[in-house]
Amino acid sequence: MKKSRESIFKNKLVLAVIAELLILVVAGILEPGFFHVEYNATTGMLYGSLVDIVNRSAEITIIAMGMTMVIALGGTDISVGALVAVSGAFALKLLRWDVTLYPTPGDYTIAPFFLVILVPLLICTAMGLFNGVLIGKFKLQPIIATLILMVAGRGIAQIATNGKQFTTGYTPYRFIGQGSLLGLPFPIIITIVICAAVMIFVRKTAFGTFVESVGVNPNASRVTGLKSDRIIIIVYTLTGFLSGVAGLIYSSRISSCDSNNAGVNYEMDAILAVVLGGTSMTGGKFSLAGTIVGSLIIRTITTLVYYFGITSESIMAFKAVIIAVVIIFQSEPVGKWLATRQARKQKAGELRG
Amino acid sequence: MKKFLTIAIALVLVIGCVANASAITVGFSQVGQESDWRTANTDDMCAAIEAEGWTLVYDDAQQKQENQVKALRNFITQGVDYILFTGVVTTGWDEVLKEVNEAEIPLFLLDRMPDCMDEIDYVAAFGGDFLEEGRRMARWTINYLAAQGRADEEINVVILEGTTGAAAATDRTKGIMEVLDKQDKLKVIASQTGNFTRAEGQAVMESFLKAHEDIDVLLAENDDMALGAIDAIKAAGKVPGKDIIIVGCDSVKAAFDAIVAGEMNCTVECNPLYSSAVIPMIKGLEEGKTYEKGVVHPEEGVFCMDGGIPYDEAGELLSVKAADVIDERKY
Repeated sequence: MKKSRESIFKNKLVLAVIAELLILVVAGILEPGFFHVEYNATTGMLYGSLVDIVNRSAEITIIAMGMTMVIALGGTDISVGALVAVSGAFALKLLRWDVTLYPTPGDYTIAPFFLVILVPLLICTAMGLFNGVLIGKFKLQPIIATLILMVAGRGIAQIATNGKQFTTGYTPYRFIGQGSLLGLPFPIIITIVICAAVMIFVRKTAFGTFVESVGVNPNASRVTGLKSDRIIIIVYTLTGFLSGVAGLIYSSRISSCDSNNAGVNYEMDAILAVVLGGTSMTGGKFSLAGTIVGSLIIRTITTLVYYFGITSESIMAFKAVIIAVVIIFQSEPVGKWLATRQARKQKAGELRG
Repeated sequence: MKKFLTIAIALVLVIGCVANASAITVGFSQVGQESDWRTANTDDMCAAIEAEGWTLVYDDAQQKQENQVKALRNFITQGVDYILFTGVVTTGWDEVLKEVNEAEIPLFLLDRMPDCMDEIDYVAAFGGDFLEEGRRMARWTINYLAAQGRADEEINVVILEGTTGAAAATDRTKGIMEVLDKQDKLKVIASQTGNFTRAEGQAVMESFLKAHEDIDVLLAENDDMALGAIDAIKAAGKVPGKDIIIVGCDSVKAAFDAIVAGEMNCTVECNPLYSSAVIPMIKGLEEGKTYEKGVVHPEEGVFCMDGGIPYDEAGELLSVKAADVIDERKY
């Protein structure tokens, strides 16, 4: 009992949750309305800033699920943002095909709906596979290997739509990002399903352990009989697929594709979510739950900026300060200090008692 | 067959040489795809240059200044005859534009003017009058409210600003505030950047709606942000165009569709079609004409649901009903 209480501040997940709660508490004190959540009968959805935070963190959370394992392998994937653009561009291409032939966006689709969903996901999965093969088989450095698609991806997205922004009014497609199920915005439902699926796959099979093992020492893992290159390929392929899902959500939210702006800096946000969640950049142990919290922290900060009307010039600085504070709060020395302080207090209490 | 081929090849060569002799190479450094407006701007210019049979070297900077600096330097080394340039931000162009001057390549500034434009040589600058566009957005809103019989009401206004640092954003905000500061009924309760994109326009409006109970007017500094905001307003269970008056800027086709559908109230035009002014000027330069350095504003209007709302200072220019002109819109 005593042991677990001592180690609580050394647990990165707990620290991430505390950081998120602290941010929310400060926000709530400044403006109690921030916590207001109500059921909106007209839209059939829960409505409030907290819902927005979870809803709009969907893309980063989904990508960061894959990114967590990429980082646990000691790698990184900087192509995810570009893949978000690729996915949206191909979906809109299939929905509209040729905007000169069908100039008005309406409630129609040119290709069957299942292809609109399937093709972008397959393309992104293939791109993830490409990353994985470069890194797993050809032993390229992850940052270099994924740089290829980071640059080329947006180009491919531009080609898909002739450098134009296609818009759609097709209701089933718009539902992905704007619809609701069980009173929740649909992106939240997608996120829950994906997070659950990834967690079950990783923790109920030995896959998670394999990833951690390869991340700590790929050579030792290989000697013990693990096919490390295969594990690397699976993880990068999965990340490509997840980026594709995020791209569908992003483009569906705005009913259009925006190859230059879709997913910009998502690689950074996803990496940050992973790090905030307590997974070390050096590889090895990882925490998917921590990553979810990390992603929520990032979106909470953005939502706060909008909600409190912080001037557009100071957004970057504001975000940087909060993130710096959170990361320092989570650092090992601070965790140790908190733990020893708690231990000392306990001792003092025992002496007094 | 062989004979035919030889003749064909010879023909191609001759035509090629003739074309080359008169060919003009135009380098066009564009900021990149960001909105429907930008697409129309790019397509119009590229199509016009190609229609003249000139060689076009087009560079899409993907919203990055360093890419544009690189593109301009490439134009210089390639020795293009004319450079068309739209800067993604206003500052930081001094050095590279002076290099263009030193290479004596005639320079056309399009749309967004760099800060250093007084210190450099250019043939002409074509651009929207962003300051006036901002003023028009505010004036139209005030006059529209008056026409609705709401002149004495306290009105809460929110603003979606463009990309921080871009001339279109800075000047439109300035123009809006200039007009709003002269009266006391319309109050700006929130103002935030939406980076000229739909996604951010939507996310920011979503938060505005939660932070402020009673928003009457949304002024979006481009149509894309307004279109994104419409979805956010719908998701909040409010009726865009009725519960909240939405004024956009640019006048892209999608905004016309929204106005005709009754989900948006007004869009202030920012004409992206510069080619009809730029091409004759290049031809003039080829003939040895000279032009006085200065900024040329294209003619622009204001379009709204029913039309007939004054938007200039004197109250003489009236807005046009969007449904009447939607079929003529090219972009």
